[in-house]
Amino acid sequence: MSPLKERFEGLLGTIVRLSTGQRILVSIAAVIFAIGVGVLVILAAGSVASCGSPALYIMGVEFCYNPLEVWLVMFDGSFGGNFEISRTLRWTTLLLFTALSFAIPYKAGLFNIGAQGQFVLGSLGAAVGVIWVATVVPGGAVGRIVLVPTGLLAGAAVGGLYGFLPGYLKVRFEMNEVVTTLLFNFIATAVAFVLVDRYFVDESIQGTQTEAIPEAAELNPQFFANSADFSLPVFVFALGIVAAAYWLLTRTTVGYELRAMGSQQKAAIFGGVDERFTTLFSMTTAGAVAGIGGALYVLMVLGRWQTGPPPLGFDGIAVSILAGNNPLGLFPSGLLFGALQSGGQAIQFQLGIPSELVGVLRGLIILLVATPELFRMMGKRLNRRGVIDIETEGSN
Amino acid sequence: MGEVLRTAGKWIGGFVGLILALIVARAVAPPGSVSEQILDALLDTGYASAVLRVAVPVAFAAMGGIFAEKTGVINIGIEGFLILSALSSVVAVVRLSDAGVSPQMALWTGFFAGILVSVGAAFVFAVFVIRFESNQVIAGLAIWLISLGLAPFVSLILFESVNSPSVGTFGTWEIPLLSEIPVLGPVLFDASPMVYLMLVSAPLCWYVLRSTQLGRYIRACGDNPRALDTAGVSVSRTRYKGILISGVFCGIGGAGFTLGQLGRFVGAGETSIGGRGFLGIVAYLFGNYNPIASVGGALLFASFDALQFRLQQIAALDVPQQLFQVLPFIVVILVLMFVGRTRIPAALGEHYDEEE
Repeated sequence: MSPLKERFEGLLGTIVRLSTGQRILVSIAAVIFAIGVGVLVILAAGSVASCGSPALYIMGVEFCYNPLEVWLVMFDGSFGGNFEISRTLRWTTLLLFTALSFAIPYKAGLFNIGAQGQFVLGSLGAAVGVIWVATVVPGGAVGRIVLVPTGLLAGAAVGGLYGFLPGYLKVRFEMNEVVTTLLFNFIATAVAFVLVDRYFVDESIQGTQTEAIPEAAELNPQFFANSADFSLPVFVFALGIVAAAYWLLTRTTVGYELRAMGSQQKAAIFGGVDERFTTLFSMTTAGAVAGIGGALYVLMVLGRWQTGPPPLGFDGIAVSILAGNNPLGLFPSGLLFGALQSGGQAIQFQLGIPSELVGVLRGLIILLVATPELFRMMGKRLNRRGVIDIETEGSN
Repeated sequence: MGEVLRTAGKWIGGFVGLILALIVARAVAPPGSVSEQILDALLDTGYASAVLRVAVPVAFAAMGGIFAEKTGVINIGIEGFLILSALSSVVAVVRLSDAGVSPQMALWTGFFAGILVSVGAAFVFAVFVIRFESNQVIAGLAIWLISLGLAPFVSLILFESVNSPSVGTFGTWEIPLLSEIPVLGPVLFDASPMVYLMLVSAPLCWYVLRSTQLGRYIRACGDNPRALDTAGVSVSRTRYKGILISGVFCGIGGAGFTLGQLGRFVGAGETSIGGRGFLGIVAYLFGNYNPIASVGGALLFASFDALQFRLQQIAALDVPQQLFQVLPFIVVILVLMFVGRTRIPAALGEHYDEEE
């Protein structure tokens, strides 16, 4: 097996065009760019919105929002205190799972756009599983030892199955996974809604939601502010999963095979890698990881399943792409998006700016990170003018 | 040409056969039963009109997708273009109506404003994937996610709600004499202008792709860009053209759906477009990149979508509405499983470096 490994390692080295350092530079440049475009969006929005007292005047034009103030409030809303930090880390924790769900298949050359659906069904599976099992186990510490793993396993199983499906459709019917996973998101939302509405609905309160999970299964806030629904051990668990994924991808034969499929498909198949296996394995793992994220959303944040899940699956794509799809980059990248999510709530609450702004930034960052050529071109131009001095070796 | 006639004959034959089968089933169904009610709902000109109306955004999204993909560019951003066009058409209509423009005039100007915005967004997308060599799938995805955030954001800023106020629709255009024909008349000749546009566009697209110089360049661009380049035609320019045409069709789809059917923009959840762009992608995969067959696919999906409203009125059925809304997606996956392979353009998704 080891000559095969060596060959793949050599392949990877020559095929990946950008070095790690360049990737990090591109990611940072993309974030700065997106923030810059965000300023324009805020200014544009501020010039058409109607408000009592404008926050800013530039050359006689009234602007309702001051971009600098927006960014400050956003920063304050994500790192300004114990509560804010826990809220940010809560989102970061969940994003690590959905981001891995994109990163693992990406390494195998597959696009899993379906983390959202896997997350939604995984969270429902966890909620229902815990509520069912809770009827036969006692409460307290014993209940906790049984119920928390039950929830995680149920989430992983349901999510994994929902990730397996598009993988199966790909290997059996050659259906493009981009299309199937996209459609599966819509199907998941509808299926979850109907299942809860018809079979698992809590009739004592209004809305489509399940009963609350028993207290023994809740992952209570620890060490940080109570109301932020954040638990430090869960965060550590998330980092552990990310580390495990890194180990899987870089230190195991399966990981090498996945990466070989992603970087040089023909050579990998020639070298004896089974495409069916790598596809099914990476998609199922991705679904399971997203499903665990969904389970934690129920156990740690909501305490039940309800409609209108946050778009963590799509944010996860952004987190993973910003991290260059490298598990090691997921924490800083996840922290940034956790902060955006947290800060988005703050700007809406304090300044009345729709938190949908965060969605725009998310898209911009994805777009820019997917475009390293843009920055390379700009770098070259600046270099030619003598503004900055960079080595253009990597730019062929 | 003979092949085309045979294909058309097959489709029309199949369709007529289906209708006849339904009529026979209706005749033998026990009176007063649920199946009789369902068949009544299906064999109704109102249902046929609804199918045509509902198919509009999906069909235009499909035609748009074909033009981009035939040049070799994967356009996942279709959904985003539809959303942007839907919102901007409504914004334009609201602004124009406030300024005192007559309703019909405002609607049509809004329609073109929607197309314009969609083409603008398509141009940005084109610059990114052609000039800056973005990963096409990710860039398209980004376009969707940006639109998904931007549209409700703009709606909140302008209308103080993610949903816009109602602006009305084009209504239907009744064609004199032809609309008097029994059964066919009210379905085909008393429809929304968008339905006419769809029915005219499909054969037009087919003709352009098959028989014009632009169409030949576009097809070569997706299948063998090097050959096109060698022949002295710019691959980049052809791709720009393909994506811009894609933007036009997506614009018609988004604005046409909003001003022809819904009458407002809804920004909650996945917005009022709600995956119709993605359905368009599946429609052209189903139609194997043939515009006419793809519009046929769109009509097929629409027939499920439109069925939902009808079946809901049959109390005995108790149809779960949410499930029915995604039924087209499920049907699509099943159909693609059994219909077999789609022949995708050979150079799809690959960046092409032109030789200087």
